[in-house]
Amino acid sequence: MIDYLIRRLLVMIPTLLAISLITFAIIQLPPGDYLSTYIAELQSQGEAVDAQKIEFLREQFGLNMPFYMKYLTWLWGMFHGDFGYSFEYNLPVSQVVGDRLALSMILSFTTVLFTWVVAFPIGVYSATHRYTAADHTLTLLGFLGLATPNFLLALVLLYFTNVFFGTSVGGMMDARYIGQPWSLAKLGSVFEHLLVPVIVIGTSGTAGMIRRLRANLLDELNKLYVVTARAKGMPPLRALIKYPLRMALNPFIADIGNLLPQIVSGAAIVSVVLSLPTTGPMLLSALQSQDMYLAGSFLMFLASLTVVGVLLSDIALALLDPRIRLHGGVTR
Amino acid sequence: MRPPSLRTPALALGGLLGLAALAAPARAETALIETPSLAAAVAAHELPPVAERVPSHPLVIKFADGAEPGEPGGDLHALIGAARDTRLMVMWGYARLIGYQRDLSLKPDIAEAIDVVDNRVFTIHLRPGHRWSDGVPFTAEDFRYFWEDIANNKELSPTGLPSALVIRGHEPRFELLDPLTVRYSWDVPNPVFLSELAATSPLFIFAPAHYLKQFHAKYADPAVLKQHVADASVRGWAALHNRLDAPYRNDNPDLPTLDPWMLQTRPPAEQFVFVRNPYYHRIDPQGHQLPYIDRFLLQSVDPKIVPVKTGAGESDLQARYLNFDNYTFLKQAAVRNNYQVRLWVTGRGANFALFPNLTVADPVWRQVIRDVRFRRALSLATNRHEINVVVFYGLATEGNNTALRDSPLYDAKDQHAWAEYDPAKANQLLDEMGLTERDGADYRLLPDGRPLTIIIESPGDNADQTDILQLVRDSWREVGIKLLIKTTQREVFRNRVFSGQSVMSIFFGAENGLPTPMSSPAEWAPTDQNQLQWSQWGNYYDSGGKAGEPIDMPMAHELLTLYNRWTASSSMEERKAIWKEMLAINADQVFTIGLASAVPQPVVVRDTLHNVPDKAIFNFDPGAFFGVYRPDQFWFATKAGDE
Repeated sequence: MIDYLIRRLLVMIPTLLAISLITFAIIQLPPGDYLSTYIAELQSQGEAVDAQKIEFLREQFGLNMPFYMKYLTWLWGMFHGDFGYSFEYNLPVSQVVGDRLALSMILSFTTVLFTWVVAFPIGVYSATHRYTAADHTLTLLGFLGLATPNFLLALVLLYFTNVFFGTSVGGMMDARYIGQPWSLAKLGSVFEHLLVPVIVIGTSGTAGMIRRLRANLLDELNKLYVVTARAKGMPPLRALIKYPLRMALNPFIADIGNLLPQIVSGAAIVSVVLSLPTTGPMLLSALQSQDMYLAGSFLMFLASLTVVGVLLSDIALALLDPRIRLHGGVTR
Repeated sequence: MRPPSLRTPALALGGLLGLAALAAPARAETALIETPSLAAAVAAHELPPVAERVPSHPLVIKFADGAEPGEPGGDLHALIGAARDTRLMVMWGYARLIGYQRDLSLKPDIAEAIDVVDNRVFTIHLRPGHRWSDGVPFTAEDFRYFWEDIANNKELSPTGLPSALVIRGHEPRFELLDPLTVRYSWDVPNPVFLSELAATSPLFIFAPAHYLKQFHAKYADPAVLKQHVADASVRGWAALHNRLDAPYRNDNPDLPTLDPWMLQTRPPAEQFVFVRNPYYHRIDPQGHQLPYIDRFLLQSVDPKIVPVKTGAGESDLQARYLNFDNYTFLKQAAVRNNYQVRLWVTGRGANFALFPNLTVADPVWRQVIRDVRFRRALSLATNRHEINVVVFYGLATEGNNTALRDSPLYDAKDQHAWAEYDPAKANQLLDEMGLTERDGADYRLLPDGRPLTIIIESPGDNADQTDILQLVRDSWREVGIKLLIKTTQREVFRNRVFSGQSVMSIFFGAENGLPTPMSSPAEWAPTDQNQLQWSQWGNYYDSGGKAGEPIDMPMAHELLTLYNRWTASSSMEERKAIWKEMLAINADQVFTIGLASAVPQPVVVRDTLHNVPDKAIFNFDPGAFFGVYRPDQFWFATKAGDE
């Protein structure tokens, strides 16, 4: 086990290096740079830009360095914990991201919790009561959730919560609480604003999860050992939970690897629509405006989380499922 | 010292400018009234009383027609699209050494007076007792610091003096006459100095020396400075100084300012709070120190949800990120959410214009496009009325890309030259050119037999552009010209125009649709690569002949000659004449085909907010968006924000 861990950790180094090179190259691929997108945006708002000033900025930001220099500077900085400079915010990247990470995590954990709480019982129920009216209804709802475009649902809910409940549109809290110390009222406002994103982001996740759980569980329920267990007179609930449900859980554990990066980048589109002060929209706008160090550091962060997440889920699987072996080689 | 009342500070522009002598701002007759929100701080001796805070010669404002005096207080909520929009407060505050009035005339503002001799020698008189927002006096030392320690410091300004200070290679001389008087003088006339000082993104020729010296290698203790640099994780003291000295970017809450509101929030943040500057230099005739509104709270949200949030009543004053197509949505919720939607007018020469590429690479196309009859025919074949009715509900102005009605240089002839819808005349012009061959579908052919299909390229980030082009396509079909629309990514779009690959493009019209004889006419002559109708010539001029192509078209040459004459001219009449001639040539030669101008800009105003004009022009420069209407005079009838 220790061997395996060390090996996996060592493999992570070249993986991350390769990822850093590729992401950085891709960020640089579109024509132009941060300043040209910046100028374009100003022009579309009717502002004029001084060309001399722009040239000066380009020099100062080091945008006219060759690609490999930019890459190496960035990489070297990262080893020292310096993730570079965000042009958009005019601040070091670490200062920009810090604030938003907490809110992102609150949102993601609430959403994951919502998804699991809703999906789990429904999935189990519809697997055990296959083809009943209830199963069909839930399946229909699930598919509806899966099929509705998230951003549309977000907009519709946004409009109605505003018109009927007077919740301010978008954001994580009412404008008057921003920058204020935490209080009960502020917490209330945050929960009020969390409702829509959690439901919206949750529905599609819930639907997917119900389907997967149902399918996995059905596979297991038809296996002989379940039939045997039942035939031997095992209580139905125990016969369900003891083995089949555990087997059906494997894909969820394997999913942890994806879950970690999603906590950071998750639901970018919905967050943009709802203007949530989370990291997703920030990543998107950094990519759009070619704020390369911010975008690059973000993607590196995501990549590291994915790599760590995959490792964690592999270990968890190995611990939970005795059929999985750490060392490759020929099975049987 | 001269007694202030004897001074006649006139903007004596050597008899060139038709500006009236600028009123001497006398000491207010009425007693000053303490601002309620600052009364507690004054009582606690944290702030001096109002009479000691305003300069001894404050600027006593005169209300424009329809504006009325108000009461200080209240919070104004507005929405911004990104943290860097904090610079909007520099536009809205619009405190400049000299500033535009509503009629686009210039009047001293921070400066008490500016004496001008021959457009060469500018003497700036400061207001005695004027203070920075931290209470430190604002004096000539702040100008000297900028001149000696910023503009002429190789590390802080590696590219040398700001371009607006260098006129045809001539640098100014700077003199410090007394603690309240400085003088800039050139050997040649500097026609743009005052309008640069008044610009929306102004030329700052002063800086808060007392604050910035602690970050300047010349003044600071090296060890302390080194610590500052390390704390900010920047490359050196120059980078640190440049970052902190950002009066326009306005993202440093520690930087003292002269604006009506000063930033209180340290970025990054979701909401930026601006509070009143207790040392502001303007007062109203009743004796209230301006601004009326205590705080501005700018919430940063995604630009795409700004219209929705505004419709939900979450902004007290909003125009940015609202487009004309949001109008009906905003109007629908106006009564429910207690706001009004006003339609102002945008200030571009044209909101949308077609740019025939005179320096296109293809020799056949080049010949066709350079024929003035072709450009006139295209303009005549465009049904502007239809565009106006279909896309802008008939509320825009139909006509060329030229000076708007509110500009002193407006001429109805320029607006309408070759801009009436007349397909018969267009057909006739095209036939005269010899483009009579047609293909099977009745479209005309180029002289070399290729189909005459114009591909109009668009940067593709504005849905209106494609809508408009669809309409243009229909009307051009009548004269046998086929139009195809190609949207590309903006950077690709520009590069294709620059390299001459694109035949025609659609883009915004002239940046300044409200020129005065003092504004630079550079955008009407080939001076810049970004001018899509002649980018190669512009590049040639801009690079001093190192890149691009020399102008080889008489009328374009004429424009450049006129522009050079304008720069060298020191007479107001001559400049006006040159401007008029340049606009007339542009209109008559149809170098750009304007499609619609003065498109309405929705401005959402809280019901209780006073002094925001009903009808006005929404423009970047001159205008500073709201700035020229002086938001420091806006006030709330009842306290808003805390219902």
